[in-house]
Amino acid sequence: MDWLEEELKQALARKEPSADFDARVRRRMVRTMPRWLAAAAAVIVLASGAGLYRHRQGEMAKEQLLQAMRITGEKLSVVQEHMQSIGERQ
Amino acid sequence: MIGIVSTPKAAIDFDAAMQEHRSMVFSVAYHFLHDRDQAEEVAQDVFLSLHKNLHEIESPSHAAHWLRRVAVQRSIDASRRRMRRPVVALENVKEPSVKPAAADPLLGELLRKLIVSLPETQRMVVILRYQEDLDPTEIAAVMGIPVGTVKSHLQRSLALLREKLERRGVGER
Repeated sequence: MDWLEEELKQALARKEPSADFDARVRRRMVRTMPRWLAAAAAVIVLASGAGLYRHRQGEMAKEQLLQAMRITGEKLSVVQEHMQSIGERQ
Repeated sequence: MIGIVSTPKAAIDFDAAMQEHRSMVFSVAYHFLHDRDQAEEVAQDVFLSLHKNLHEIESPSHAAHWLRRVAVQRSIDASRRRMRRPVVALENVKEPSVKPAAADPLLGELLRKLIVSLPETQRMVVILRYQEDLDPTEIAAVMGIPVGTVKSHLQRSLALLREKLERRGVGER
């Protein structure tokens, strides 16, 4: 290598970027999250919420049905006892 | 229950790659554009691009080659978009008021200005040769041009730089 090439090596020595370079890259990474990814995340949250709501509604309906059957059963018992007492009197 | 699709593990760690190669990427852009702010922006773009394409990187050495190639491309793109500082023809670079001695910081700055006034391809060839210490075959691979073209660019650039320096009274010690 001649003198000019040596001078070029020195003149073109690597330089460091700013001290906060890494932080700036990471900030831009967060800002440039694709819209489709954000939308997909929203859909997943909504779908999970809707599914949970339907499940709860189903559980409540089941509970209400069981309650209705219990009440009906109790009333039937009362009617049955009444009928029995009528039958015994006759 | 929603299944989570797992992505394959990347071959390299992004943060480690950024730490190892940020000065290389920044310096390619800086020496090509001779503008610190623009060079920072180009370098950030290069690493953002790496992050998006991490799945394509097969190894640390592939990452180095990939980053160098993208830094070259983005620097050239930025230079073409640049409007505010037109490229000064080599003949129009003013002579320094004091003739710099060899190994003088002024000579380094003069050389950097002369390099910026070279045509794009020659400029990048000089940067890859003397900043990155790549041989002509490696430069040809990075830039996607024939080895013969790289060699002739190098010869012409050195001859031109030598001529301009000698006109300014700067020569071999």
